[in-house]
Amino acid sequence: MLKRSKLDIAIIGSGPAGLAAAVEADRRGVKNLVVFERDELPGGILRQCIHNGFGLEKFKEELTGPEYANRYIKMAESAGIDIELNTTVLEIEKDRTLTSVSEHSGLRKYECKSIILAMGCRERPRGALGIPGTRPAGIFTAGHAQRLINIEGYMPGEKVVILGSGDIGLIMARRLTLEGAEVVAVAEILPYSSGLIRNVVQCLNDYEIPLLLSHTVAEIHGDKRVEGVTLVKVDTDWNPIKRTEQYVECDTLLLSVGLIPENELSKQAGVLIDPKTGGPYVNDCLETSVEGIFSCGNVLHVNDLVDNVSNEGELAATGAYERIKGKTLGRERIMEVEADEGVGQVVPQKISGDRETIFYLRVKKPMGKMVLRVGENFEKKFSYARPSEMIRLKIPKKIFSQMGSSVSKLQIRCEER
Amino acid sequence: MAKAQSVSPAFLGECDVVIIGAGIIGAMIARELSKLKGKFALIEKEAFPGFGVSKASLSQIHLPDFCPIGSLKGKLSANAPQRFKKLARELDLHYREVGEIWLALKQEHIENLWEAKKRGESNGARGYEIIGPEKIRQLEPYVTKKAIAGLYAKEPGVLYTPEWTFALTENAVQNGVSLYLGAAVTGIDKEDDHYYKVTTTRGQIRARYVINAAGLYSDEIAALLGDADIHLELRKGTMLIFDKSVSSLVRHMLFGTFSEKHSQDIAPTAHGNLILGVHYVKPRNKKDTSVSRENIEETFKLGKELVPALREKDMITSFSGILCTNNKASDGDFYIAPSEHAPRAIHVLAGAPGLTAAPGIADMVIRLLVEQGLKAEEKKVFHTRKESFPRFESAPLSKKEKMIASNPKYGHIVCRCEQVTEAEVINAIKRGVDTMDGVKHLTRAGMGRCQGSFCGSSVLKYLANTLGIPATKVTKKGAGSHHIVGYTKQGGESGAGEC
Repeated sequence: MLKRSKLDIAIIGSGPAGLAAAVEADRRGVKNLVVFERDELPGGILRQCIHNGFGLEKFKEELTGPEYANRYIKMAESAGIDIELNTTVLEIEKDRTLTSVSEHSGLRKYECKSIILAMGCRERPRGALGIPGTRPAGIFTAGHAQRLINIEGYMPGEKVVILGSGDIGLIMARRLTLEGAEVVAVAEILPYSSGLIRNVVQCLNDYEIPLLLSHTVAEIHGDKRVEGVTLVKVDTDWNPIKRTEQYVECDTLLLSVGLIPENELSKQAGVLIDPKTGGPYVNDCLETSVEGIFSCGNVLHVNDLVDNVSNEGELAATGAYERIKGKTLGRERIMEVEADEGVGQVVPQKISGDRETIFYLRVKKPMGKMVLRVGENFEKKFSYARPSEMIRLKIPKKIFSQMGSSVSKLQIRCEER
Repeated sequence: MAKAQSVSPAFLGECDVVIIGAGIIGAMIARELSKLKGKFALIEKEAFPGFGVSKASLSQIHLPDFCPIGSLKGKLSANAPQRFKKLARELDLHYREVGEIWLALKQEHIENLWEAKKRGESNGARGYEIIGPEKIRQLEPYVTKKAIAGLYAKEPGVLYTPEWTFALTENAVQNGVSLYLGAAVTGIDKEDDHYYKVTTTRGQIRARYVINAAGLYSDEIAALLGDADIHLELRKGTMLIFDKSVSSLVRHMLFGTFSEKHSQDIAPTAHGNLILGVHYVKPRNKKDTSVSRENIEETFKLGKELVPALREKDMITSFSGILCTNNKASDGDFYIAPSEHAPRAIHVLAGAPGLTAAPGIADMVIRLLVEQGLKAEEKKVFHTRKESFPRFESAPLSKKEKMIASNPKYGHIVCRCEQVTEAEVINAIKRGVDTMDGVKHLTRAGMGRCQGSFCGSSVLKYLANTLGIPATKVTKKGAGSHHIVGYTKQGGESGAGEC
């Protein structure tokens, strides 16, 4: 028989979401909690994000990824929080039984009052895109290359083409350049960058790396190692435009073509997933469709800013704390939140209206001056909006109170003005 | 697997039979031969057994209902499922008996099913049943509502070809077969009336008998033997792999229509993904395993027609394999026969269903060798294969506990998507796997939905450390395919910045 233990809260993942959740849960007095981390050190992907720009909101200063993580690791350490390293959660069940495995403790089972999912996301690989061509060595996702360089000290290549202008791709363009590699071009299938503007300026423009908008990789060449790629211009439907092909010599192709919340464990437990975010449907305490299971950070939806991830971790911990104290988390009155016109996705998808609520949303396409409307009695104006920049919208409780109890659907939409 | 030492330019050794090509067929022949007294060698131009077309196989064991009545390939495939089940026990390998259903979506296709049944039975297969729409729905709840009849057989199954090719080779080596990897044949010369001198990129082998099991390159080997009239016709087939999370959509191998352009086939894989194929086009050359957007879309359509709930976003990878037919047999049949010009040389020109027929082919080749004068005397002791790689992921909880108790490294998950442990990766490397692709195919680390972006750097380190080589020397699939190119400015194995 496996050893079984009881936990108040199990937190899966010790990236920024999991660590913030752990620190907050501890601050509220939950002591019987364990953070499960599959890697050898806590911090999650922040460990390999050695560039700065983290923590402007949370700490009012610009930190590197490891520095930001260390702030929370120190808080967790001084609180005596148990972080089980090199430990993988194999399974979670609907009744919140969790099975973990590690070299040092073997298999373990935990019966948990609450579980906080904070597993982060993974990168979309080549296969999922179906990029045509051969299958040589030298094709990496941007995050894999980032780990090779920043943690292992290895150079993935010398002459690099990057497909996709997501933030990791942009940051890796600069990083590779600083390490002496030549970044020939960054190709982006959309007519605009899918990363933050500051990253386009600081990582590409400053190093004169060309950003080819409305371009994609039509074919990969090379038998053993990448020898080159064919780039092609695409029309608005992403169809290649004939006679715009150009062959670019390179030994490496980096892919920065999207992140996918890693919800395999969540699905096992029966947690319902929103196809728009790729993460669980949650309420205003970030509780998923399974009672007592919460979700925060990039496993909930892909964030741009780590500060928001930490905020979500704290909110999930608050929810988990209230759940183990026997509170009902406002499941009586539920308003369904709908991403309506112009809005691509929104979190949370269900709210009680019993508390101030922060909505995280993304517009579907770049917009100039626009107004965002929440239901019938709240609006906020923006001078511009881009899909790559998540909008954070704080709605006071009184707005919900004004809505009356008959309102069961809350539409969020935006219009250009 | 113990590899013969490389000394070049060198005389590698003398043997009775040399098998050219360690694909699934060459490996099967080598393993059967190793039951006999004598000296045998298996040579392969790739870095690992099965790294040619065997790696890009659908990995399905069929019945011969799509082979013409009386054809050689039909005869050699007759009892394939039973053969593979027996081999799975002998070699401690995984054969998943999923069964197959050939579906008719139109009234006029029902007749095809009866004809297929007749072909299969005439070729010696048993166990067919024609089923109606209710039974189809009961066996396959997500299949298209258009399916009005099916030809069902319970015993056909799926396996994982690279794993089998490796195991057969390993077992052959255990029983004395010399294996030469990365050895491409560049010349075959008659030394005297008894021996051939086979020159490879790794050195020379003297052999009395030569088996040409070189797959896509069997025409080139035939030409070296003086049979310049053997030609191959190539087709490239694209296949798609879907995430395990949608595995409940298909439970049996499901077939639809077959034509020059496609074989409509969607099935579970041995490891619980779904595989969909096969859309054919003409490749540019033998190495052209590229996949185009159009290939993917055409292949996807084949699956969508049989299983409407299939979604492209659940696809995790695509690949293509090259299939060949020869000009010596008609109707795309196999040609397995002694050379017309070179005595004691045997050509094995297979094609689809090469995997299914492999055990039958091995029997036939040995029979032909005996006819050519080889003395077939069984060895007193034949070593059965040592235990296969125990897999953590598929083991029940109690077995998992035992595995960790015996080796705590089974508790350390390296590949999160496929739940592959450090013990499994190290095990594979110690048993002869020395490339990133080798680790991927043998252990499945890097085979899942993230395609190695999380575990790639760990696998790289385990390979470097276990093989005792710098990480810069670790390759994806043999010489020239290095995974990394050097060290960062402050990186390096010793922190000294070797580059």
